Amino acid sequence: MTVTETISEFIRDKFDIGDDPDFTNDVHLFNEGFVDSFGAVEIIHFVEETYSIEITQKDITLFPMNTVEEIAAVVESKI
Amino acid sequence: MIIPNSAVRLLDDAVIKYKDKVAVSDEYETFTFERLQSLGHSIATALLAVSDGGYMPEPVMVYLPKSGKCIASFMGAMYSGNPYVPIAYDMPAGRIQKIVDLLEGRGHIITDADGMAVIDTMSIPETMHVHIYDEITTTAPDCDAVYSALDRVIDTDPIYIMFTSGSTGEPKGVTVPHRGAVDYAIWVHNTFGINENSKLGNQAPFYFDNSIFDIYSMLLTGAEMNIIPETLFMFPSKLPEYIRDNDITVIFWVPTVMINVANSGVLSEIEMPKLKTVAFCGEVMPNTQLNIWRKNHPDAVYANLYGPTEISDVCTYYIVDREFKDSDPLPIGRACENMRIIILNSENKLAKPNEQGELCVIGTGVSLGYWNKPDISDKVFVQNPANPFYEERIYRTGDLAYITDEGLIMYDGRMDNQVKVKGNRIELGEIECAAMCVEGVKGACAVFDAPNEQIVLFVESCEALVLRKFNNELKQYIPKYMLPSKLVVMDKFPHTANDKIDRVTLKKSISEN
Repeated sequence: MTVTETISEFIRDKFDIGDDPDFTNDVHLFNEGFVDSFGAVEIIHFVEETYSIEITQKDITLFPMNTVEEIAAVVESKI
Repeated sequence: MIIPNSAVRLLDDAVIKYKDKVAVSDEYETFTFERLQSLGHSIATALLAVSDGGYMPEPVMVYLPKSGKCIASFMGAMYSGNPYVPIAYDMPAGRIQKIVDLLEGRGHIITDADGMAVIDTMSIPETMHVHIYDEITTTAPDCDAVYSALDRVIDTDPIYIMFTSGSTGEPKGVTVPHRGAVDYAIWVHNTFGINENSKLGNQAPFYFDNSIFDIYSMLLTGAEMNIIPETLFMFPSKLPEYIRDNDITVIFWVPTVMINVANSGVLSEIEMPKLKTVAFCGEVMPNTQLNIWRKNHPDAVYANLYGPTEISDVCTYYIVDREFKDSDPLPIGRACENMRIIILNSENKLAKPNEQGELCVIGTGVSLGYWNKPDISDKVFVQNPANPFYEERIYRTGDLAYITDEGLIMYDGRMDNQVKVKGNRIELGEIECAAMCVEGVKGACAVFDAPNEQIVLFVESCEALVLRKFNNELKQYIPKYMLPSKLVVMDKFPHTANDKIDRVTLKKSISEN
């Protein structure tokens, strides 16, 4: 499974999204209400554990991580 | 110290003392005191050029992403002799329109290109002047015009209008005078010893009164105000790292953030040697999480501050000076310098020690009331019933409290439907009014689910509604922080004998499920 697929599947399960057709890899997870602000932590925690990487405070401020694709891009730059 | 007529005089003093020192820094830019002043002069000149020249001040709405540019705009408003009105950049257009209407379409809006696109969808009368930040900051300053406008200001004039949730669905504009903000800044300085070497790690949004602590401490003492990137607050475990890397010495945060940082477990891993003052305000701070902070960073001073927007941010404080068990409540302490607290019982008489009553505030910090809302102002800004001899205005907070035998004030909940969710002050009525605007909704009742600290919205509707989509509709009317976490759709609401919605039964149904 690609990084994008892994993250997408995690979010779909974790936040009970089911088969909502609006949930795509480039949808704004927070603005569209798929994930609440507390959910962001869980996503970061998941990718840090899964890929044994660290997302630093600088990464968070420098790179947007609002969509599945954006999160995957940051992860891929670190593995 | 001579109290200035306008708080922006503090900036003029700071420029003399600290000229090239950084006053404000954000993710992208730094602003020295001198630059803040010169931007303020340019902005004020542009505002004055289109002023109607009337008696009443012209409110300056600042509708920009949270940044140093907002602070420069606030300075510009003050230099022009007008109050500023911070508007959250993600505030729905419908709510901004309500604010424009409350201001009766008079004054100014400072925004950027994206903000302009939102404003274009609204109905803004010609008497409200819209300015683009990048344009007005290039205006050649006319210091004669600016300082003659500034000279006309007196310290009882409004410095800012901060809009807070209103139970009828219309936000309330708390109008604070210059002397309230300055008096508060002096207290902060005296109490926490903030000086030109301090670095404030700002969390509070500028539409939230906690930001007054950071902004006016910076102006009064020459400290640097570092605006922490907003996205970082979604990742509490990364905040201590930021404090360490940026040499932050003072934080004044809402307890929700303090709690999230403590719960992330990261406090035991990251040293923050420069952090000396940890103050918090806005909701109840539980000792469970405060103890985690204290255990891992024992050298910092911890202070529990209390106060509603209506009294210029803070009116009581408690420096945490002894051990507390996790289950103990933290006192809100004693009145700040130049403020007085009285507790009025149900008979409107001064409560005895340990007797519960309504916490009421007296002092310079008490605001001027709600902008353009004399009716609701008159209900809560009233003559002190304990004083029959002269005019003494008090603010009735609606908060319940009692004073212990030791003389410490203890917070004891609310008298009405106002709730605090993640530090945000919310009137449940405002959510209900917004819900009624969504198609297919016949009735709405918002309930606070205290154990889970979330809002549950009950709606009466025949349609199948889904929370996410419903919230996307609601976002047109209310800020994101007011959105419910749960939606319960019913064909028909239960009613009480006198035909009101039976809130008690609805609330009970949450704990049962």
